[in-house]
Amino acid sequence: MSRIVTIAANTVREAIRDKVLGSIALFGGLLVVVSLAMRDLSIGDTDKAVQGLALSAMAFIGAVLAVFLGVGLVWKELERKTIYTLASKPMPRWHLLLGKYVGLWATLMVELAALTAVYVAVTAPTLGMPGPASWIALAALALELTFLCAWATLFSTFAAPASAAAYTVSVYVIGHFADDLQRFGQASRDPAFRETATTLYRLVPNLEMFNLRAEAVHGVLVPAGELASIAAYGLGGTLAVLSVAVLVFERRDFS
Amino acid sequence: MARPEGLVSAPAIRTEGLGKVYRTGFLRRPIPGLADLDLEVPAGASFGFIGPNGAGKTTTLKMLLGLQAATSGRAWLHGVPVPTPESRRRVGFLPERPYFYEHLTAGEFLHFYARLSEVPRPMRAERVDALLERVDLARFRDVPLRSFSKGMLQRAGLAQALVADPDLLILDEPMSGLDPLGRVLVRDLILEERRRGKTVFFSSHVLSDVEAVCDRVAMVVGGRLRGQGTVRALLGETVAHVDVHAVGVARLPTGAWAASPGADLRVRLAPAEVDAALDGIRGAGGSVFSVTPAVRTLEQVLLDEVERARPVDGKRLGVLA
Repeated sequence: MSRIVTIAANTVREAIRDKVLGSIALFGGLLVVVSLAMRDLSIGDTDKAVQGLALSAMAFIGAVLAVFLGVGLVWKELERKTIYTLASKPMPRWHLLLGKYVGLWATLMVELAALTAVYVAVTAPTLGMPGPASWIALAALALELTFLCAWATLFSTFAAPASAAAYTVSVYVIGHFADDLQRFGQASRDPAFRETATTLYRLVPNLEMFNLRAEAVHGVLVPAGELASIAAYGLGGTLAVLSVAVLVFERRDFS
Repeated sequence: MARPEGLVSAPAIRTEGLGKVYRTGFLRRPIPGLADLDLEVPAGASFGFIGPNGAGKTTTLKMLLGLQAATSGRAWLHGVPVPTPESRRRVGFLPERPYFYEHLTAGEFLHFYARLSEVPRPMRAERVDALLERVDLARFRDVPLRSFSKGMLQRAGLAQALVADPDLLILDEPMSGLDPLGRVLVRDLILEERRRGKTVFFSSHVLSDVEAVCDRVAMVVGGRLRGQGTVRALLGETVAHVDVHAVGVARLPTGAWAASPGADLRVRLAPAEVDAALDGIRGAGGSVFSVTPAVRTLEQVLLDEVERARPVDGKRLGVLA
């Protein structure tokens, strides 16, 4: 356990000292501020629209960071050959992979917390403190990033960063259109297409499930049962994807 | 941690028929990397693993450390089967041309590996300080590794390998890229570890270094073991010939070794002829300037083996042959 924490801490430290990451985080903060500043330029129920925009900006930046950091997670260790001294220590390989994953996850959570702090600092004076629905939406976003990190980690165990990034972005995009896929299928009169669409819907990850931003903007509280199933889906999916990543990583030759 | 009962006297390294076949390309074409390696490194030995580039040295080390899976055979470290994590518990490793986390300072870097090696917390700071001192990096403790030279990185890597005070040090080309001072430092370090009863197993193609610090050697060429044993046994006890250089010889004594007359005499003799020749030179009023027995060097032995190795059974084995 202590080795996992040590590797995670080193991953966080490396990310924090990475200038590119700092720039993305700064850009994220600015994006949130600009989203909220747009209330002066909007017509109608500006507060809700702007609040939704700011939450979307946070989700976007979180996903960019997950892809940016996640896809090089294992590849960088292989490329720099630091994997030789790490994997030759008396520990199972899954400790190494889990340590890297936890480090990536912790980095993202720190970034998300920082963006949330910016969001609260900017909205509190005019809109008041975010209500429970907003906090639930942020927790769901954290869960989505946890799941997305697991996918990026899996792809980084066997693919170079460019390919791993393409795979992770594909999962992200398809994952957010999963509900549409199901709706298309149900709307079709062709039973074969309906069956295919339903099967695909069950196979692809459903990331749209974690999007509770509309509920946050309108102050709608999602029922506890639904939240529990979202949490179970996110954590179960993360565990399943990480298990596959461990299997791939355990079989790899470091040449 | 207490050592497992019965394993204390086990060889530091043992392999039985260890082999590796790489698969490359879309068709997974087999490329032999190492075949049938039977190796035994006694505990406490300073063991050189020599061979030309691409002979299978690094492949062997990686298999011993669980970085690559063997496709045939078995291996043990201190009697514990490879590649279990337990087999690496008493091992320190320095890879060839090491790259480390550039964002860490030398001190942070060693603390990181000390934690991974489960060095007890109260001992960590003291161990790190002592090692930085030992590899002459103490004054660079707070300097990030990104600003280190190649030689400094190599020394930091050595400190990393030693951080858990391992019983077995596995070093892949530890002298590579070092200036003469760095090489002396590494050589002294290996000799010191040997004096402390540790096993040092290192691959190298700088054969003079191997001769200087090793008591035993294994030679691998074209993915196959070509010999192992003490350095003396590998080189052979016999002297092939003796070169004699004498000056001031006005007239040569008679004999089979006679060369052209002159004041400066250089002759190559059979060992049995040396005594008579030296008497003859002195008797003729000359002075013996030098007597040099020609013994085989590891380099000559290795070159002979490389020559003998190609082709192996009509097939090419490994990258080199």
